[in-house]
Amino acid sequence: MRWQHPVFVCLILALTLIVIPAASEEAGVSVLDPWVRESPPGVTMMAGYMALRNNTSRPQVLMAMSSSGFATVMIHRTIVKNGVASMVHASQIELKPSASFIFSPGGYHLMLMNPKRTLRAGDRVDINLEFRGGLVLPVAFEVRK
Amino acid sequence: MISTVALAAMLGAVWLAGIYRGHDSRAMLLPDQVMTIFSEPKPLTAFALTDHKNRVFDFASLKGKWSFLFFGFTHCPDVCPTTLAVLARTRDNIAKNRAGAEDIQFVFISVDPNRDTADKLSQYVAYFHTTFLGVTGNDAQIANLAGQLGAAYQVAFKPGLEDYPVYHTTTVFLVDPRARFHAIFTLPLDAETISRRFKALQELERAKAT
Repeated sequence: MRWQHPVFVCLILALTLIVIPAASEEAGVSVLDPWVRESPPGVTMMAGYMALRNNTSRPQVLMAMSSSGFATVMIHRTIVKNGVASMVHASQIELKPSASFIFSPGGYHLMLMNPKRTLRAGDRVDINLEFRGGLVLPVAFEVRK
Repeated sequence: MISTVALAAMLGAVWLAGIYRGHDSRAMLLPDQVMTIFSEPKPLTAFALTDHKNRVFDFASLKGKWSFLFFGFTHCPDVCPTTLAVLARTRDNIAKNRAGAEDIQFVFISVDPNRDTADKLSQYVAYFHTTFLGVTGNDAQIANLAGQLGAAYQVAFKPGLEDYPVYHTTTVFLVDPRARFHAIFTLPLDAETISRRFKALQELERAKAT
């Protein structure tokens, strides 16, 4: 049989060794540079940004977010069409295997409504990222001006 | 394709040469993505709004100053704070090495007067820059100035709903000291480019006047 050739066996073993640690790597999704823009006084709408990287070989889907720091956390996307900005709600974000996804000003952002306390530059606020399959990543977002 | 790249490279080289020559403002005003200058600036007509200190902001308020106008609303979490932060840096850049910079003003025009009271606007604009003005008015007053500038916006107000959506242009409008609509800045906005291009335009206009 072709598949029993020693080279293939070694190859499959090697692949298994590579794939297993990646798939079982802690969290499976990395969060890079999570930050929240400090808001002017009296403003109850804030935006959070970050980059997500899927370290696994399976798609990962960001389904929901929760935080004790805000009444509501949603995924929004700023869309500029014919020079006019609007925001649309995104129900989930799918990260393809080994892919990255960036939340940045003028694009996708976490819409953070009604902060429970005044957040100033330098503060940290925790937001839980909930993925399909039960993975929950607690992430400390840094407040920046 | 190749010719487009070559043309872009050539334009880039000419533009850079302009900067290095330093004195020829015209060379620095070649078209780019950020700023569009109108060859025939459009004179604005009467309008009246109210600023964050409940003072009148009208046609006369534009005279004698270069005005950077931006339409938005304070409940805007992404585009407005991003743009106002860029404009604050722009102002600091322009004011650098120049005493006062009294001949420029930055005006945030709220299209959401229902939520953006004078008090609210006052706190909001001061957060970005102490010199910024926040103005608003009733629907007809806002529509008047927005219409003259071609500034698109829509407030999807729903009674009882606190977080109704507001759509607004991302363009920054530049009105010259003769109250003429002179140029626009479009995304992606960056403070260094805006201030550099603005200074070049200002120099050119000064040269024309003398």
